[in-house]
Amino acid sequence: MPKRKLDPLPSAAFQILLALAGEDLHGYAIMRQVAEQTAGRLRLGPGTLYSSIRTLLEAGLIEELDQREDPQLGDERRRYYRLSSAGRRLARSEAQRLADLLRAARAKKILKGEYV
Amino acid sequence: MSEKIYGWLLRLFPSRFRAAYGEDALQLFRDRARHETGFLLRVRLWFDLLGDLASSLPREYRYAQPGAALTVSPQRINAAPFPSLFILRDTPPRATALLSGFVLTVSSVLLCSSLLNQAAARRPSRSSFRTPQASASPRASTPSSAQAAENANISAAAPGSDETLASQQSAAAPPSFAPNDASSNAAESPASTSFTDSRSNRSFAQPPALPPADSHSPIPPSNSPSAAAPSLPNNLSRATALASTSLDAAERHRVIGSAAAALREHYVYRGDAQRMAESLLAHEKRGDDDAATDGGTFAALLTRQMREVRADRHLSLDYFPDPLPPQPTAITSEPDPRYREIMKQQNCTFEKVEILAHNIGYLKLNSFPDPAVCEATAKAAMATLNGADALIYDLRDNRGGTPDMVAFMAAYLFDHPEYWYNPRENTTDRSWTHSPVPGSKLADKPVFVLTSHQTISGAEHFSYDLKMLRRATIVGETTGGAAHSGIFYRLDDHFGMGIPEANPINPYSTPDWAETGVDPDIKVPAADALSTALKLAEAKLAKK
Repeated sequence: MPKRKLDPLPSAAFQILLALAGEDLHGYAIMRQVAEQTAGRLRLGPGTLYSSIRTLLEAGLIEELDQREDPQLGDERRRYYRLSSAGRRLARSEAQRLADLLRAARAKKILKGEYV
Repeated sequence: MSEKIYGWLLRLFPSRFRAAYGEDALQLFRDRARHETGFLLRVRLWFDLLGDLASSLPREYRYAQPGAALTVSPQRINAAPFPSLFILRDTPPRATALLSGFVLTVSSVLLCSSLLNQAAARRPSRSSFRTPQASASPRASTPSSAQAAENANISAAAPGSDETLASQQSAAAPPSFAPNDASSNAAESPASTSFTDSRSNRSFAQPPALPPADSHSPIPPSNSPSAAAPSLPNNLSRATALASTSLDAAERHRVIGSAAAALREHYVYRGDAQRMAESLLAHEKRGDDDAATDGGTFAALLTRQMREVRADRHLSLDYFPDPLPPQPTAITSEPDPRYREIMKQQNCTFEKVEILAHNIGYLKLNSFPDPAVCEATAKAAMATLNGADALIYDLRDNRGGTPDMVAFMAAYLFDHPEYWYNPRENTTDRSWTHSPVPGSKLADKPVFVLTSHQTISGAEHFSYDLKMLRRATIVGETTGGAAHSGIFYRLDDHFGMGIPEANPINPYSTPDWAETGVDPDIKVPAADALSTALKLAEAKLAKK
């Protein structure tokens, strides 16, 4: 059975890694965080979200934490996820790759700006 | 409500995914639904969900992974309240399994097709026609003893009528009958003329025809010469018949009883025979027949009741105003001497054999007489026509005859044995034409058959088969529609039944000509058929 490849890292998976970079989150919070960090452009649906989470879990890039409640969302117990050190490394290298890409784009005058 | 809908949609995901994340997905949906209120947000929510389904479903199935793995137990499958998808095996099939599956599939397909082919080989299909008798020797010039036996049961009907045709069913069977034919036998007698083939100077003398039997009354079949003799005292018997036209319940009951018995005993489709018999009795019990006090109406009613069970146009029950002769038991082995005499007088009903302008051969044939008597005449006529560039068979006054002669005449038109469908006989080795006929140059010549609404029976057989084989162009009117493959059974003095005992294979998609007749390819009034066919033939020859 072909394993889902994380190379190249799908954008949904990268966004999830980034969302978890700040704090441990449950599924819905990840979805909201992703929507926030993409200015609402990417709203992960349940299928995409959880299949990405599963892939990342299997690759050891994130970890599943014990279930607990989210005080803001009532008393339902939720699974929380945390970025693993491998996930952090991968996210960093992916960001680096994108930064390189960005620099190249700037060098070709495709994109303006100085940041990064 | 919407959560329930989404729960259903989640069922589309592989079971493993649902087991692991189904609850979470639902929870996510609930969270979103709780926070995203208002019409636009709701629309966006569902838009997202459906888009998510469309994109993640295929991926889930493609990448359905082992390991994450809750294997599915049968209980879970049974517990599922509605149809859902489970993956029962974690691993994909091995290459060897795929290969053996492929081999099994291919071999079972091959096995099936070869079995089907074998089954089909028993039925003649157009493509398999040529094999069975390809090596058969050409027809012997004199009829074999077997043929003679088959031709045995010739009744002494007037020439050109059809009684002789159906009696070919089998030598042991009682004579067949032809009620429809006889009734359409208009009183026409061929003129007494002598015809000369302008090329060969060969003349066909035609003596005066016998005065035909009273052809408006059906001629019941019989071996007794008096029954079919031209001098049948019809007026007398009709008078007695009129007196006994009115039926009472007792007679109806008797007829129904004998009809049911005859069906059970003779009808080729046993199951339907049983059902028909029961249906006849049931109709009687219900009083459906009570109104039928007239013989003809009653016979038509019973025929309709039988055909409700099976729409078999070869099956009929008929009423005869004239008392039927007793069912013959003795089967003669020789054609009736009277028949021989009549045929001799009428040149075997080969009325005209001519070569017309543009070397178009013209044969006016008014019956298909028994080859045991008329083979020499037929051969001579065909020899005369052998040099023609096109052939016109004028069957407008042809009332049928023996299927042997029909096939004999057709044999000239093919260069290989051709399956010759005969609705009156089971398909046998004899169902192929004895082609090629040695010396025949007609196998590739255009053929036209002229028909009228009085063209019946054997003549329709000839027209129908040539039309189906696309060997001839039929010009004229739709034919009479007399196929009656049934064998005649006498029920009492006035009622008889035609019951099919053979179940021949019709290789053509259209039903045979029973009751409907053969439709011409070129529909013109019978009177104009010859001129039309001549024009067509000339046009065809001019193209060459």
